[in-house]
Amino acid sequence: MAIIEVRSEITGKVWRLDASMGEMLGEEAPIMTLESMKMEIPVLAPVAGRLKELLVAEGEPVKEGQVVARLET
Amino acid sequence: MSFEDKIAEHARRTARAKAMGGPEKLARRAAEGLLNARERLAMLADPGSISEIGLFAVSARPEDRERSPADGVVTGYARIDGREVALAASDLTVLGASSARIASQKIAHLRNSAIRNGMPFLLLGECAGARMPDAQGAAGMGGVGLGYGFNRRRETPWITAILGPSFGLSTWFAVQSDFVVMRKGAALAVSSPKVTAVAISEEIDPEELAGWRLQSEVTGLVDQVTETDEEALAVIRRLLAYLPGHAGELPPEAPERAPARPAEEILALLPESRGKVYDARKVLECIFDAGSLFPFKERFGRSIFTGLARLAGRSIGVIACNPLFKGGALDADACDKAASFIVFCDSYNIPFVQFADTPGFLIGQAGERQRVGGKIMNYVQALELASVPKLAVIMRKSYGQAYLNLGGGLSDEIAAWFTSEIGFVDPAVGVSVVHNLRREQDPARYDELARAMARDNSPYDLAGIFAAQTVIDPRETRDWLQRMLEVHRRRPGGGIGSHRLSVWPTTL
Repeated sequence: MAIIEVRSEITGKVWRLDASMGEMLGEEAPIMTLESMKMEIPVLAPVAGRLKELLVAEGEPVKEGQVVARLET
Repeated sequence: MSFEDKIAEHARRTARAKAMGGPEKLARRAAEGLLNARERLAMLADPGSISEIGLFAVSARPEDRERSPADGVVTGYARIDGREVALAASDLTVLGASSARIASQKIAHLRNSAIRNGMPFLLLGECAGARMPDAQGAAGMGGVGLGYGFNRRRETPWITAILGPSFGLSTWFAVQSDFVVMRKGAALAVSSPKVTAVAISEEIDPEELAGWRLQSEVTGLVDQVTETDEEALAVIRRLLAYLPGHAGELPPEAPERAPARPAEEILALLPESRGKVYDARKVLECIFDAGSLFPFKERFGRSIFTGLARLAGRSIGVIACNPLFKGGALDADACDKAASFIVFCDSYNIPFVQFADTPGFLIGQAGERQRVGGKIMNYVQALELASVPKLAVIMRKSYGQAYLNLGGGLSDEIAAWFTSEIGFVDPAVGVSVVHNLRREQDPARYDELARAMARDNSPYDLAGIFAAQTVIDPRETRDWLQRMLEVHRRRPGGGIGSHRLSVWPTTL
Protein backbone atom coordinates (compact mmCIF):
# COMPACT_ATOMS: atom_id res chain seq x y z
CA MET A 1 0.00 0.00 0.00
CA ALA A 2 1.35 3.39 -0.89
CA ILE A 3 0.15 6.98 -0.59
CA ILE A 4 0.24 8.85 -3.89
CA GLU A 5 0.21 12.65 -3.90
CA VAL A 6 -1.93 14.28 -6.55
CA ARG A 7 -0.69 17.70 -7.64
CA SER A 8 -2.30 20.54 -9.53
CA GLU A 9 -0.63 21.00 -12.91
CA ILE A 10 -1.68 24.63 -13.14
CA THR A 11 -2.32 27.74 -11.04
CA GLY A 12 -6.02 28.57 -10.82
CA LYS A 13 -8.92 27.81 -8.52
CA VAL A 14 -10.98 24.76 -7.62
CA TRP A 15 -14.17 24.95 -9.66
CA ARG A 16 -15.81 21.67 -8.65
CA LEU A 17 -15.00 18.51 -6.70
CA ASP A 18 -15.77 15.43 -8.81
CA ALA A 19 -14.96 12.60 -6.39
CA SER A 20 -15.69 12.07 -2.72
CA MET A 21 -13.58 10.88 0.18
CA GLY A 22 -13.09 7.15 0.34
CA GLU A 23 -14.18 6.66 -3.25
CA MET A 24 -12.34 4.01 -5.29
CA LEU A 25 -11.00 5.67 -8.46
CA GLY A 26 -9.65 4.16 -11.64
CA GLU A 27 -6.52 5.55 -13.32
CA GLU A 28 -7.34 8.90 -15.01
CA ALA A 29 -10.67 9.22 -13.16
CA PRO A 30 -11.45 12.90 -12.45
CA ILE A 31 -10.89 13.99 -8.84
CA MET A 32 -11.74 17.65 -9.29
CA THR A 33 -12.02 20.34 -11.95
CA LEU A 34 -9.93 23.49 -11.80
CA GLU A 35 -10.70 26.77 -13.49
CA SER A 36 -7.73 28.51 -15.08
CA MET A 37 -7.19 30.48 -18.28
CA LYS A 38 -11.02 30.32 -18.56
CA MET A 39 -10.79 26.55 -19.10
CA GLU A 40 -12.22 23.70 -17.05
CA ILE A 41 -9.15 21.62 -16.33
CA PRO A 42 -9.60 18.17 -14.79
CA VAL A 43 -7.28 16.81 -12.12
CA LEU A 44 -7.06 13.09 -12.90
CA ALA A 45 -6.01 10.20 -10.68
CA PRO A 46 -2.42 9.38 -11.75
CA VAL A 47 -2.99 5.75 -10.72
CA ALA A 48 -5.97 3.71 -9.55
CA GLY A 49 -6.61 4.06 -5.84
CA ARG A 50 -8.87 5.11 -2.98
CA LEU A 51 -9.31 8.85 -2.40
CA LYS A 52 -7.83 9.22 1.08
CA GLU A 53 -7.54 13.00 1.43
CA LEU A 54 -9.00 16.02 -0.33
CA LEU A 55 -6.86 18.99 0.63
CA VAL A 56 -8.77 21.82 -1.08
CA ALA A 57 -12.35 23.06 -1.19
CA GLU A 58 -14.47 24.43 -4.02
CA GLY A 59 -13.56 28.04 -4.82
CA GLU A 60 -10.11 27.78 -3.24
CA PRO A 61 -7.09 29.07 -5.20
CA VAL A 62 -4.36 26.51 -5.98
CA LYS A 63 -0.77 26.89 -7.14
CA GLU A 64 0.97 24.88 -9.85
CA GLY A 65 2.53 21.83 -8.21
CA GLN A 66 0.39 22.10 -5.03
CA VAL A 67 -0.71 18.78 -3.50
CA VAL A 68 -4.51 18.81 -3.76
CA ALA A 69 -5.36 15.20 -2.85
CA ARG A 70 -3.83 11.93 -1.71
CA LEU A 71 -4.68 8.49 -3.02
CA GLU A 72 -4.07 5.17 -1.30
CA THR A 73 -3.10 2.37 -3.65
CA MET B 1 49.22 -25.23 -44.05
CA SER B 2 50.96 -21.88 -44.58
CA PHE B 3 50.61 -19.22 -41.92
CA GLU B 4 49.16 -21.77 -39.52
CA ASP B 5 50.43 -19.90 -36.48
CA LYS B 6 49.08 -16.60 -37.85
CA ILE B 7 45.66 -18.15 -38.41
CA ALA B 8 45.60 -19.54 -34.89
CA GLU B 9 46.77 -16.26 -33.37
CA HIS B 10 44.14 -14.32 -35.33
CA ALA B 11 41.40 -16.70 -34.15
CA ARG B 12 42.59 -16.40 -30.55
CA ARG B 13 42.62 -12.60 -30.67
CA THR B 14 39.23 -12.47 -32.38
CA ALA B 15 37.69 -14.78 -29.79
CA ARG B 16 39.23 -12.78 -26.96
CA ALA B 17 37.83 -9.51 -28.30
CA LYS B 18 34.37 -10.98 -28.82
CA ALA B 19 34.38 -12.47 -25.32
CA MET B 20 33.90 -8.91 -24.03
CA GLY B 21 34.14 -8.72 -20.22
CA GLY B 22 34.20 -12.50 -19.85
CA PRO B 23 31.65 -15.26 -19.28
CA GLU B 24 30.89 -14.42 -15.63
CA LYS B 25 29.93 -10.80 -16.25
CA LEU B 26 27.97 -11.71 -19.36
CA ALA B 27 26.09 -14.44 -17.45
CA ARG B 28 25.23 -11.96 -14.69
CA ARG B 29 23.75 -9.57 -17.25
CA ALA B 30 21.78 -12.32 -18.91
CA ALA B 31 20.40 -13.36 -15.51
CA GLU B 32 19.19 -9.77 -15.02
CA GLY B 33 17.37 -9.99 -18.34
CA LEU B 34 19.74 -7.50 -20.01
CA LEU B 35 21.15 -7.91 -23.50
CA ASN B 36 24.89 -7.44 -23.95
CA ALA B 37 26.37 -4.95 -26.42
CA ARG B 38 26.70 -7.43 -29.30
CA GLU B 39 23.24 -8.89 -28.74
CA ARG B 40 21.79 -5.39 -28.86
CA LEU B 41 23.50 -4.57 -32.14
CA ALA B 42 22.44 -7.88 -33.65
CA MET B 43 18.84 -7.23 -32.65
CA LEU B 44 18.90 -3.69 -34.05
CA ALA B 45 20.56 -4.35 -37.41
CA ASP B 46 19.40 -6.41 -40.38
CA PRO B 47 20.64 -10.01 -39.97
CA GLY B 48 24.25 -10.45 -41.05
CA SER B 49 24.67 -6.78 -42.00
CA ILE B 50 27.09 -5.63 -39.28
CA SER B 51 30.67 -4.82 -40.29
CA GLU B 52 32.50 -4.17 -37.07
CA ILE B 53 35.36 -1.68 -36.93
CA GLY B 54 37.74 -1.45 -34.02
CA LEU B 55 37.36 -5.05 -32.85
CA PHE B 56 41.06 -5.18 -31.99
CA ALA B 57 41.21 -1.78 -30.34
CA VAL B 58 42.24 -1.84 -26.68
CA SER B 59 43.06 0.60 -23.92
CA ALA B 60 45.85 3.09 -24.57
CA ARG B 61 47.39 2.05 -21.23
CA PRO B 62 49.66 -0.99 -21.70
CA GLU B 63 48.69 -2.48 -18.32
CA ASP B 64 45.00 -2.53 -19.33
CA ARG B 65 45.37 -4.00 -22.83
CA GLU B 66 44.47 -7.54 -21.86
CA ARG B 67 41.29 -6.52 -20.02
CA SER B 68 39.90 -3.95 -22.42
CA PRO B 69 38.55 -5.73 -25.52
CA ALA B 70 37.28 -3.20 -28.07
CA ASP B 71 38.06 -0.65 -25.32
CA GLY B 72 34.53 -1.04 -24.04
CA VAL B 73 32.58 0.03 -27.10
CA VAL B 74 31.51 -2.09 -30.07
CA THR B 75 31.42 0.03 -33.23
CA GLY B 76 30.62 -0.57 -36.87
CA TYR B 77 28.47 -0.11 -39.92
CA ALA B 78 25.25 -1.97 -40.55
CA ARG B 79 21.97 -1.85 -42.41
CA ILE B 80 18.55 -1.28 -40.92
CA ASP B 81 15.66 -2.03 -43.28
CA GLY B 82 18.29 -2.09 -46.00
CA ARG B 83 19.64 1.41 -45.24
CA GLU B 84 23.20 2.10 -44.09
CA VAL B 85 23.79 3.31 -40.53
CA ALA B 86 26.79 3.82 -38.28
CA LEU B 87 26.31 2.36 -34.83
CA ALA B 88 28.04 1.98 -31.50
CA ALA B 89 27.09 0.00 -28.42
CA SER B 90 28.77 0.56 -25.08
CA ASP B 91 29.96 -2.63 -23.39
CA LEU B 92 29.46 -2.18 -19.67
CA THR B 93 31.22 -5.49 -18.97
CA VAL B 94 34.52 -3.95 -20.09
CA LEU B 95 35.79 -1.47 -17.49
CA GLY B 96 32.25 -0.12 -17.12
CA ALA B 97 32.30 1.17 -20.71
CA SER B 98 34.10 4.12 -19.19
CA SER B 99 35.10 7.04 -21.41
CA ALA B 100 38.71 6.58 -22.45
CA ARG B 101 41.02 7.64 -25.25
CA ILE B 102 40.72 4.77 -27.71
CA ALA B 103 36.99 4.29 -27.14
CA SER B 104 36.47 7.99 -27.79
CA GLN B 105 38.59 7.81 -30.95
CA LYS B 106 36.46 4.92 -32.21
CA ILE B 107 33.24 6.86 -31.66
CA ALA B 108 34.70 10.02 -33.20
CA HIS B 109 35.81 8.04 -36.27
CA LEU B 110 32.36 6.54 -36.65
CA ARG B 111 30.63 9.87 -36.14
CA ASN B 112 32.81 11.58 -38.74
CA SER B 113 32.34 8.75 -41.18
CA ALA B 114 28.55 8.91 -40.70
CA ILE B 115 28.61 12.64 -41.45
CA ARG B 116 30.87 12.27 -44.50
CA ASN B 117 28.88 9.41 -45.95
CA GLY B 118 25.38 10.58 -45.07
CA MET B 119 24.30 7.92 -42.59
CA PRO B 120 22.39 8.15 -39.30
CA PHE B 121 24.56 7.68 -36.23
CA LEU B 122 23.14 5.45 -33.50
CA LEU B 123 24.51 4.99 -30.01
CA LEU B 124 23.33 2.33 -27.57
CA GLY B 125 24.74 3.99 -24.52
CA GLU B 126 25.91 2.88 -21.12
CA CYS B 127 28.85 4.43 -19.36
CA ALA B 128 30.15 4.42 -15.80
CA GLY B 129 31.84 7.79 -16.40
CA ALA B 130 35.37 8.88 -17.24
CA ARG B 131 37.93 6.07 -16.91
CA MET B 132 40.33 6.51 -14.03
CA PRO B 133 43.19 6.96 -13.81
CA ASP B 134 43.36 7.48 -17.59
CA ALA B 135 41.67 10.88 -17.56
CA GLN B 136 43.43 12.06 -14.41
CA GLY B 137 46.27 14.53 -14.46
CA ALA B 138 47.12 17.26 -16.93
CA ALA B 139 48.17 14.81 -19.63
CA GLY B 140 45.03 12.74 -19.07
CA MET B 141 42.66 15.68 -19.21
CA GLY B 142 44.62 17.38 -21.98
CA GLY B 143 44.38 14.19 -24.03
CA VAL B 144 40.60 14.21 -23.71
CA GLY B 145 40.52 17.55 -25.49
CA LEU B 146 42.50 16.47 -28.54
CA GLY B 147 40.50 16.05 -31.66
CA TYR B 148 37.07 14.75 -30.65
CA GLY B 149 35.07 17.95 -30.87
CA PHE B 150 31.49 18.74 -29.95
CA ASN B 151 30.47 20.52 -33.12
CA ARG B 152 26.93 19.30 -33.74
CA ARG B 153 25.56 20.59 -37.04
CA ARG B 154 22.75 18.07 -37.65
CA GLU B 155 24.22 16.81 -40.94
CA THR B 156 22.79 13.36 -40.20
CA PRO B 157 20.27 12.13 -37.65
CA TRP B 158 21.71 11.06 -34.30
CA ILE B 159 19.69 8.72 -32.15
CA THR B 160 20.70 7.51 -28.69
CA ALA B 161 19.27 4.71 -26.58
CA ILE B 162 20.14 4.86 -22.89
CA LEU B 163 20.08 1.23 -21.80
CA GLY B 164 21.99 1.30 -18.53
CA PRO B 165 23.82 3.70 -16.24
CA SER B 166 25.02 6.64 -18.33
CA PHE B 167 27.30 9.19 -16.70
CA GLY B 168 29.95 10.14 -19.22
CA LEU B 169 30.44 10.17 -22.96
CA SER B 170 27.06 8.56 -23.67
CA THR B 171 25.36 11.38 -21.76
CA TRP B 172 27.03 13.99 -23.96
CA PHE B 173 25.92 12.09 -27.04
CA ALA B 174 22.38 11.67 -25.74
CA VAL B 175 21.84 15.35 -25.06
CA GLN B 176 23.20 16.28 -28.50
CA SER B 177 21.01 13.69 -30.24
CA ASP B 178 17.88 14.32 -32.25
CA PHE B 179 16.04 11.64 -30.30
CA VAL B 180 16.66 9.74 -27.07
CA VAL B 181 14.92 6.57 -25.94
CA MET B 182 15.54 5.33 -22.40
CA ARG B 183 14.84 1.98 -20.81
CA LYS B 184 13.23 2.12 -17.38
CA GLY B 185 15.87 1.35 -14.77
CA ALA B 186 18.63 3.01 -16.79
CA ALA B 187 20.16 6.27 -15.60
CA LEU B 188 21.12 9.45 -17.46
CA ALA B 189 23.09 12.18 -15.73
CA VAL B 190 26.27 14.20 -15.95
CA SER B 191 27.72 12.53 -12.89
CA SER B 192 26.97 9.37 -10.90
CA PRO B 193 25.39 9.35 -7.43
CA LYS B 194 28.75 8.16 -6.08
CA VAL B 195 30.65 11.19 -7.38
CA THR B 196 27.76 13.47 -6.44
CA ALA B 197 27.88 12.25 -2.83
CA VAL B 198 31.62 12.93 -2.58
CA ALA B 199 31.68 16.28 -4.39
CA ILE B 200 28.65 18.06 -2.94
CA SER B 201 27.63 15.81 -0.03
CA GLU B 202 24.32 15.11 -1.74
CA GLU B 203 23.22 11.57 -0.99
CA ILE B 204 20.71 10.81 -3.68
CA ASP B 205 18.91 7.81 -5.04
CA PRO B 206 20.00 7.04 -8.66
CA GLU B 207 16.38 7.16 -9.87
CA GLU B 208 15.89 10.62 -8.41
CA LEU B 209 19.17 11.91 -9.82
CA ALA B 210 19.05 10.28 -13.22
CA GLY B 211 15.93 8.12 -13.68
CA TRP B 212 13.43 7.96 -16.52
CA ARG B 213 10.77 9.98 -14.69
CA LEU B 214 13.09 12.93 -14.18
CA GLN B 215 14.50 12.86 -17.70
CA SER B 216 11.23 12.28 -19.56
CA GLU B 217 8.82 14.34 -17.41
CA VAL B 218 10.85 17.11 -15.77
CA THR B 219 13.77 17.83 -18.13
CA GLY B 220 12.42 16.51 -21.44
CA LEU B 221 15.89 15.27 -22.42
CA VAL B 222 14.41 11.82 -23.05
CA ASP B 223 11.84 11.50 -25.84
CA GLN B 224 10.45 8.02 -25.25
CA VAL B 225 10.64 5.49 -22.41
CA THR B 226 10.41 1.71 -22.74
CA GLU B 227 10.21 -1.23 -20.35
CA THR B 228 12.85 -3.36 -22.11
CA ASP B 229 15.96 -3.16 -24.31
CA GLU B 230 14.05 -4.91 -27.09
CA GLU B 231 11.34 -2.25 -27.11
CA ALA B 232 13.92 0.54 -27.15
CA LEU B 233 15.61 -1.00 -30.20
CA ALA B 234 12.24 -1.36 -31.93
CA VAL B 235 11.62 2.35 -31.30
CA ILE B 236 14.88 3.21 -33.11
CA ARG B 237 14.02 1.03 -36.11
CA ARG B 238 10.58 2.60 -36.28
CA LEU B 239 11.91 6.17 -36.05
CA LEU B 240 14.50 5.65 -38.80
CA ALA B 241 11.72 4.80 -41.24
CA TYR B 242 10.49 8.43 -41.02
CA LEU B 243 13.91 9.99 -41.53
CA PRO B 244 16.29 10.64 -44.41
CA GLY B 245 19.80 9.21 -44.09
CA HIS B 246 21.17 12.77 -44.06
CA ALA B 247 20.11 16.40 -44.32
CA GLY B 248 20.64 16.46 -48.09
CA GLU B 249 17.88 14.03 -48.99
CA LEU B 250 14.14 13.59 -48.48
CA PRO B 251 12.63 11.13 -45.99
CA PRO B 252 11.59 7.76 -47.45
CA GLU B 253 7.92 7.14 -48.23
CA ALA B 254 5.67 4.36 -46.98
CA PRO B 255 2.41 3.01 -48.40
CA GLU B 256 -0.60 5.22 -47.69
CA ARG B 257 -2.96 4.11 -44.93
CA ALA B 258 -6.39 5.50 -44.14
CA PRO B 259 -6.71 7.13 -40.69
CA ALA B 260 -7.59 4.83 -37.77
CA ARG B 261 -10.63 6.96 -36.92
CA PRO B 262 -13.10 8.37 -39.44
CA ALA B 263 -13.04 12.13 -40.10
CA GLU B 264 -16.65 12.30 -38.86
CA GLU B 265 -15.40 11.55 -35.38
CA ILE B 266 -13.63 14.91 -35.11
CA LEU B 267 -16.97 16.60 -34.58
CA ALA B 268 -17.81 14.18 -31.77
CA LEU B 269 -14.42 14.61 -30.08
CA LEU B 270 -14.56 18.42 -30.05
CA PRO B 271 -16.70 19.55 -27.08
CA GLU B 272 -19.42 22.04 -27.97
CA SER B 273 -18.78 23.86 -24.70
CA ARG B 274 -15.76 26.11 -25.24
CA GLY B 275 -14.41 25.63 -21.71
CA LYS B 276 -14.29 21.84 -21.90
CA VAL B 277 -11.15 19.86 -22.65
CA TYR B 278 -10.43 16.85 -24.88
CA ASP B 279 -7.47 14.78 -26.00
CA ALA B 280 -6.14 16.28 -29.23
CA ARG B 281 -4.24 13.06 -29.99
CA LYS B 282 -7.55 11.40 -30.80
CA VAL B 283 -8.33 14.17 -33.28
CA LEU B 284 -4.94 13.62 -34.92
CA GLU B 285 -5.84 9.95 -35.37
CA CYS B 286 -8.76 11.11 -37.54
CA ILE B 287 -6.38 12.99 -39.84
CA PHE B 288 -3.08 11.08 -40.25
CA ASP B 289 -2.32 7.57 -41.54
CA ALA B 290 -3.39 4.84 -39.12
CA GLY B 291 -0.74 3.95 -36.53
CA SER B 292 1.68 6.59 -37.79
CA LEU B 293 1.79 9.00 -34.82
CA PHE B 294 5.25 8.79 -33.26
CA PRO B 295 5.47 11.11 -30.24
CA PHE B 296 8.51 13.11 -29.14
CA LYS B 297 8.66 14.11 -25.43
CA GLU B 298 5.09 13.00 -24.79
CA ARG B 299 5.51 13.14 -20.99
CA PHE B 300 7.04 16.65 -21.01
CA GLY B 301 5.33 20.00 -21.65
CA ARG B 302 2.15 18.04 -22.28
CA SER B 303 -0.07 20.96 -23.24
CA ILE B 304 1.56 20.66 -26.65
CA PHE B 305 1.95 17.40 -28.57
CA THR B 306 4.93 17.00 -30.88
CA GLY B 307 5.61 14.01 -33.06
CA LEU B 308 6.10 12.54 -36.47
CA ALA B 309 3.25 11.14 -38.49
CA ARG B 310 2.53 10.08 -42.04
CA LEU B 311 0.14 11.77 -44.40
CA ALA B 312 -0.58 9.52 -47.37
CA GLY B 313 2.68 7.71 -46.63
CA ARG B 314 4.90 10.80 -46.37
CA SER B 315 6.65 11.95 -43.19
CA ILE B 316 5.20 15.05 -41.59
CA GLY B 317 5.88 16.79 -38.29
CA VAL B 318 2.88 17.50 -36.05
CA ILE B 319 2.75 20.17 -33.35
CA ALA B 320 -0.66 20.26 -31.69
CA CYS B 321 -2.00 21.96 -28.59
CA ASN B 322 -3.53 19.38 -26.31
CA PRO B 323 -6.27 20.91 -24.15
CA LEU B 324 -6.37 17.73 -22.04
CA PHE B 325 -3.34 19.14 -20.22
CA LYS B 326 -3.41 22.66 -18.71
CA GLY B 327 -6.39 23.37 -20.95
CA GLY B 328 -3.93 23.72 -23.83
CA ALA B 329 -2.27 26.75 -22.20
CA LEU B 330 1.36 26.78 -23.36
CA ASP B 331 4.05 27.02 -20.68
CA ALA B 332 7.85 27.34 -20.82
CA ASP B 333 8.36 23.60 -21.30
CA ALA B 334 5.82 23.50 -24.14
CA CYS B 335 7.71 26.33 -25.88
CA ASP B 336 11.05 24.50 -25.60
CA LYS B 337 9.42 21.34 -26.85
CA ALA B 338 7.81 22.98 -29.89
CA ALA B 339 10.97 24.92 -30.78
CA SER B 340 13.22 21.85 -30.57
CA PHE B 341 10.79 19.90 -32.73
CA ILE B 342 10.80 22.64 -35.39
CA VAL B 343 14.61 22.52 -35.36
CA PHE B 344 14.42 18.78 -35.91
CA CYS B 345 11.90 18.96 -38.78
CA ASP B 346 13.78 21.79 -40.47
CA SER B 347 17.09 19.94 -40.24
CA TYR B 348 15.80 16.79 -41.96
CA ASN B 349 13.47 18.21 -44.63
CA ILE B 350 10.23 17.24 -42.90
CA PRO B 351 7.28 19.59 -43.52
CA PHE B 352 5.26 20.33 -40.40
CA VAL B 353 1.79 21.44 -39.40
CA GLN B 354 0.72 23.21 -36.22
CA PHE B 355 -2.74 22.69 -34.75
CA ALA B 356 -3.96 25.49 -32.48
CA ASP B 357 -6.34 25.12 -29.57
CA THR B 358 -5.02 27.25 -26.75
CA PRO B 359 -6.40 29.91 -24.42
CA GLY B 360 -2.91 31.45 -24.73
CA PHE B 361 0.48 31.27 -23.08
CA LEU B 362 0.25 30.34 -19.44
CA ILE B 363 0.93 33.55 -17.59
CA GLY B 364 1.95 33.95 -13.96
CA GLN B 365 4.93 33.78 -11.66
CA ALA B 366 5.90 30.16 -12.34
CA GLY B 367 6.40 30.93 -16.02
CA GLU B 368 8.27 34.16 -15.43
CA ARG B 369 10.73 32.32 -13.19
CA GLN B 370 11.37 29.92 -16.07
CA ARG B 371 12.05 32.80 -18.50
CA VAL B 372 8.91 31.99 -20.47
CA GLY B 373 9.10 35.26 -22.40
CA GLY B 374 12.46 34.30 -23.87
CA LYS B 375 11.22 30.82 -24.66
CA ILE B 376 8.13 32.14 -26.47
CA MET B 377 10.41 34.22 -28.68
CA ASN B 378 12.79 31.29 -29.28
CA TYR B 379 9.82 29.27 -30.48
CA VAL B 380 8.54 31.94 -32.84
CA GLN B 381 12.07 32.60 -34.12
CA ALA B 382 12.45 28.90 -34.94
CA LEU B 383 9.16 29.07 -36.83
CA GLU B 384 10.32 32.11 -38.78
CA LEU B 385 13.67 30.53 -39.73
CA ALA B 386 12.32 27.11 -40.72
CA SER B 387 12.45 26.69 -44.48
CA VAL B 388 10.49 23.44 -44.85
CA PRO B 389 6.80 23.73 -45.81
CA LYS B 390 4.90 24.89 -42.71
CA LEU B 391 1.14 24.76 -42.43
CA ALA B 392 -1.28 25.76 -39.68
CA VAL B 393 -4.77 24.68 -38.67
CA ILE B 394 -6.76 26.59 -36.06
CA MET B 395 -9.00 23.99 -34.43
CA ARG B 396 -10.71 25.97 -31.72
CA LYS B 397 -9.13 28.71 -29.61
CA SER B 398 -6.14 30.74 -30.71
CA TYR B 399 -5.41 33.75 -28.54
CA GLY B 400 -2.76 36.42 -28.26
CA GLN B 401 0.91 35.82 -28.98
CA ALA B 402 0.15 32.07 -29.03
CA TYR B 403 -1.85 32.69 -32.23
CA LEU B 404 1.37 33.92 -33.84
CA ASN B 405 3.57 31.13 -32.44
CA LEU B 406 1.10 28.57 -33.74
CA GLY B 407 1.56 29.92 -37.22
CA GLY B 408 -0.68 33.00 -37.46
CA GLY B 409 0.88 35.10 -40.22
CA LEU B 410 3.99 32.91 -40.19
CA SER B 411 2.86 29.80 -42.10
CA ASP B 412 2.76 28.99 -45.79
CA GLU B 413 -0.99 28.38 -45.54
CA ILE B 414 -3.48 28.66 -42.69
CA ALA B 415 -6.88 26.99 -42.45
CA ALA B 416 -9.30 27.89 -39.67
CA TRP B 417 -11.93 25.31 -38.75
CA PHE B 418 -15.47 26.69 -38.59
CA THR B 419 -15.27 25.84 -34.88
CA SER B 420 -12.39 28.28 -34.29
CA GLU B 421 -12.23 31.60 -32.46
CA ILE B 422 -9.35 34.06 -32.67
CA GLY B 423 -8.54 37.13 -30.62
CA PHE B 424 -6.17 38.80 -28.22
CA VAL B 425 -7.62 37.32 -25.01
CA ASP B 426 -10.60 35.15 -24.14
CA PRO B 427 -13.75 37.32 -24.16
CA ALA B 428 -14.36 36.48 -20.51
CA VAL B 429 -11.02 38.08 -19.63
CA GLY B 430 -11.30 40.76 -22.31
CA VAL B 431 -14.49 42.29 -20.91
CA SER B 432 -12.88 42.78 -17.51
CA VAL B 433 -9.79 44.35 -19.04
CA VAL B 434 -11.45 46.58 -21.66
CA HIS B 435 -14.56 47.64 -19.70
CA ASN B 436 -13.11 47.36 -16.19
CA LEU B 437 -16.10 45.20 -15.24
CA ARG B 438 -16.24 41.92 -13.31
CA ARG B 439 -19.15 39.59 -13.90
CA GLU B 440 -20.34 39.75 -10.27
CA GLN B 441 -20.82 43.54 -10.60
CA ASP B 442 -23.39 43.36 -13.45
CA PRO B 443 -23.91 39.85 -14.89
CA ALA B 444 -26.37 40.88 -17.64
CA ARG B 445 -24.17 43.65 -19.03
CA TYR B 446 -21.04 41.55 -18.68
CA ASP B 447 -22.60 38.65 -20.62
CA GLU B 448 -23.80 40.96 -23.38
CA LEU B 449 -20.33 42.54 -23.75
CA ALA B 450 -18.71 39.08 -23.74
CA ARG B 451 -21.11 37.88 -26.47
CA ALA B 452 -20.28 40.89 -28.61
CA MET B 453 -16.55 40.24 -28.18
CA ALA B 454 -17.01 36.56 -29.05
CA ARG B 455 -18.79 37.51 -32.28
CA ASP B 456 -15.70 39.49 -33.31
CA ASN B 457 -13.55 36.37 -32.87
CA SER B 458 -15.03 34.59 -35.89
CA PRO B 459 -12.77 32.64 -38.28
CA TYR B 460 -14.60 34.30 -41.19
CA ASP B 461 -13.29 37.66 -39.96
CA LEU B 462 -9.77 36.18 -39.99
CA ALA B 463 -10.32 34.88 -43.53
CA GLY B 464 -11.98 38.21 -44.40
CA ILE B 465 -8.68 40.05 -44.01
CA PHE B 466 -6.93 37.01 -45.60
CA ALA B 467 -4.94 36.27 -42.42
CA ALA B 468 -6.31 32.75 -42.90
CA GLN B 469 -6.35 31.38 -46.44
CA THR B 470 -9.54 29.44 -45.85
CA VAL B 471 -12.19 28.34 -43.37
CA ILE B 472 -12.82 24.60 -43.53
CA ASP B 473 -15.02 21.89 -42.10
CA PRO B 474 -12.77 19.91 -39.68
CA ARG B 475 -13.60 16.77 -41.64
CA GLU B 476 -11.80 18.19 -44.70
CA THR B 477 -8.48 18.60 -42.87
CA ARG B 478 -6.65 15.57 -44.29
CA ASP B 479 -7.51 16.50 -47.87
CA TRP B 480 -6.58 20.14 -47.30
CA LEU B 481 -3.19 19.23 -45.80
CA GLN B 482 -2.41 16.82 -48.63
CA ARG B 483 -3.28 19.37 -51.27
CA MET B 484 -1.29 22.18 -49.64
CA LEU B 485 1.77 19.94 -49.30
CA GLU B 486 1.55 18.99 -52.98
CA VAL B 487 1.84 22.70 -53.73
CA HIS B 488 4.44 23.68 -51.15
CA ARG B 489 6.73 20.74 -51.75
CA ARG B 490 7.33 22.08 -55.25
CA ARG B 491 9.70 24.82 -54.09
CA PRO B 492 13.08 24.90 -55.83
CA GLY B 493 15.60 22.65 -54.12
CA GLY B 494 13.35 19.64 -54.37
CA GLY B 495 12.23 19.84 -50.76
CA ILE B 496 15.73 20.18 -49.28
CA GLY B 497 15.61 23.14 -46.92
CA SER B 498 18.29 25.73 -46.21
CA HIS B 499 18.74 24.35 -42.65
CA ARG B 500 19.25 27.65 -40.90
CA LEU B 501 18.30 25.92 -37.64
CA SER B 502 20.77 23.07 -37.95
CA VAL B 503 23.31 24.78 -35.69
CA TRP B 504 20.82 25.82 -33.01
CA PRO B 505 21.59 24.75 -29.44
CA THR B 506 21.37 21.00 -28.95
CA THR B 507 19.14 21.46 -25.90
CA LEU B 508 16.62 24.30 -25.81
